[in-house]
Formats: sequence, C-alpha cells, structure tokens
Amino acid sequence: MNHTVLVGDMKIGSNGDMLVTHALGSCLGLVVFDPAAKVGGLLHAMLPLSSINPEKAKANPAMFVDTGVPLLFNSLYEKGASKSRLIVKAAGCGNPMGKNEVFKIGERNYTVLKKLLWKNNILLEAEDVGGTISRTIHFDVSNGQVVLSSNGAKRPL
Amino acid sequence: MRNEQITGTIKTFPGMPGAALRLLALIDDPNVTVQQIEGILRQDPGLTANLLKLANSAYFGIPSKVGSVRQAVVLLGLKRLVQMVIAACTSAVMDRPVPGYDLPAGELWRHSLAVSVAAEGLVGELKLEASEEIFTAALLHDVGKLILGQFVQEDYAKIELALSQGLPFETAEAIVLGTDHAQIGADVLTKWALPPAIVNAVRWHHAPEKSVGVDTMLDVVHVANLLCRMIGIGMGRDGLHQQPSPEVTRRLGVTSAHLEKVASQTLQWANELSAALAA
Repeated sequence: MNHTVLVGDMKIGSNGDMLVTHALGSCLGLVVFDPAAKVGGLLHAMLPLSSINPEKAKANPAMFVDTGVPLLFNSLYEKGASKSRLIVKAAGCGNPMGKNEVFKIGERNYTVLKKLLWKNNILLEAEDVGGTISRTIHFDVSNGQVVLSSNGAKRPL
Repeated sequence: MRNEQITGTIKTFPGMPGAALRLLALIDDPNVTVQQIEGILRQDPGLTANLLKLANSAYFGIPSKVGSVRQAVVLLGLKRLVQMVIAACTSAVMDRPVPGYDLPAGELWRHSLAVSVAAEGLVGELKLEASEEIFTAALLHDVGKLILGQFVQEDYAKIELALSQGLPFETAEAIVLGTDHAQIGADVLTKWALPPAIVNAVRWHHAPEKSVGVDTMLDVVHVANLLCRMIGIGMGRDGLHQQPSPEVTRRLGVTSAHLEKVASQTLQWANELSAALAA
C-alpha cells in the first residue's frame, strides 16, 4: 500500500508498503530500513531543534529533527528492527541561493541529524542533500529500494 | 512577439467580481456603514457564503459563530472583511494547476494562504509595523504564475539553460520571456484596481531592493514566500532557486530563530484557513 508522509510527519511500513514524501526543500527526509525484519520508516522533519516551539514538539515530535529522528528509530525497534542491521539514508536539506546564513534551515537540519547519528554510532549509507532542488522520496519497504525524483528525473539513492 | 502573447493573456484573465471592487473602493472611507457593506454583498450570495466560511475559520480565533455580514464586520473589522472577500473571490482561479511551475491543482492556493499567514506571523514575531494589507499582498504575490506558466512551459529548455548559469528563477524568466511572474502579477492587480502598495509588494517580491522606497510589507512578503517554499509549500519546478535579500534580512532584523518559530506554526494556520473554504 502507498502511504504519504506529510511535512512534519513519520510513517512506518512493512513488506508490501511504499512510503512516499513530496516536496522536500529545506526539510529532512530520513529513510531507515531493516532488511531482515522487513520494516522501514520515513520521516519528513521540518526544523532542526524542538526548543524553538516545545508545545508543537510535544504534539508533533516528527516536525523537528532532534525529536523526530529518535521517534523514527524507536518506532522501528518496537516493530522488531535491530540497530545493527539498520540502513539509513538522508535526502533534502536544501537551501535558497546565496550565502544568507539566516535562511540555511536545511543546513541546520543536516547538522543536527549528523550529530544525533554520530552520538549513536550510526552511519549514513547514502545521502542526497543540499542544493536548491525539490526532492520526492519513494521508499519501497519490500526491498529497501529508495528512489528520488526532482522535476520528473528519477535516480536511486 | 512573446510579449504581445503574454500581454494578450493578461487582458483575457478573469477580473475581480463587482462586489469585491465596490468594497475595495470603500476601504479608506471613514464614513462607511455596515448597511452599505451589507447592501453590496447582498448582490452576491455565493461570495457572502464563502466569506462567512472564512470568517469562521479557527485562524481568526472568533469564539462564537459568525452568521451574518453584520457580525463579521463587527467582530473582524472592515479591513479583515475586505481581505476575506478578496480571498473568497480568488480561491477558485488560484486553485488551478499551474503548468511550467509544475504545481498540481490546489498547490498555488495552499502556498498563497501559507505566505499570508507566515507574513502575519513574521509581523507579530518581529513586532513590526506593517500595513494590514499584507494579508492580501501575500495572498496574491504569485498570481502572475497563472499567466506566465504556459510560457515558462513552452520555453523551459531555455530557462533551464539560464538556471544552469546560477541565475535565480525569476531572472531566468525575465531573460527568456522578457518579463517575470512578479511583473505579470503586478499588471493583473493593477487591472483589478488593487491599492498601489499591494501592487508594489507583488511587483518586487523577489527583488525588494529594487522597489522605490522601503516598505515593510514588501520585505515581509519576500521573506515569508521564501520560508514557505523552504518548508515545501508551493515549491514546484523552480525549487529554492531564489535568493533572500541580505538588505531585507538586515532591515527586518530577522534571525534564524524568528524564521523557525514562524515556520513551526505556519502549516497549522494555513490548514485552518484552507479547511474553512473547503467546508
């Protein structure tokens, strides 16, 4: 079944599921997959740190990278995933043109992700981040295949 | 040739309904009465129904149900009422899919609402003095895309070539088509007889430093537009191919914390407004 992950949203799927998220700009799209347990999850987090709006984070932890990423991993562990088998891929984290630091939400999303993964001894298997393009993720939980599309052009991640 | 075709499309673009135009003309009249407004809206029951739906949206935070034009004027004020009339009048045309920019049906409208609420959010967060017209300026900033889209589509290969040289999307439009969606939008709004400050904000929303005179409303629309695109609302083929103005960032004193705070609220606000009209 196809499941759409909205902005500030996370979904877990199993064999036979396709997880899709559209229009990643500065937002982080994070794919986590356990090939043995055949479970996977997709997070579409908007902002780096939940401290900017703790009330929102409480209601919707998937909106922020620092609360959404742990939510994604813990939800997968509950479904039988094992940390040692996990394959983790990241996409999105784009920024508008120019050097204006104020607008680099995408860069900050990526930094917070890397810090979290590093602290937990997890490596990124693949990433397609930065730049000014819009990205859509199709994640097939049956086989772990991740396809990115931008402006109609598709590429595997 | 291209220019003539584009100008021709502006001429045939739908106009504002008469009721909206008559209300707009009254907005600066200090002696306007509720009866006058009721009289104008009575001629357009469909518009009145949509107006009341919007007035009841959670975004405006009115605790009791707004059941009449009179109540809407009393509870929200004339300026808000006119903003909602314009929103109700433009939702159908802005709901269309936009070729060229690859926006599916509904996406331009969702983006427009999001930029309106993000702009008002930034005004509040930054404690700015900006004209109340900012809601409408933000709502209509991309209306030119409805006209320019088909031309962008036809000449996309050339636009892509310009983009590959590191130019912002609207600059690529101007080089290839001789005009950009901000200019076309301003032309449409001039035809609709909207106030000059709104037309100016729409005209320069990608290049605020080119506007004659500083206008906080314009600066905020510029920032709110980029912010909504960054969080994926209304980002089509043009992606994040725009450049934030360093001058505007400085003038407004906007920081990343301001942007992120407003971003964290924008989705909910925009959903409240769009749900109201869909109901």
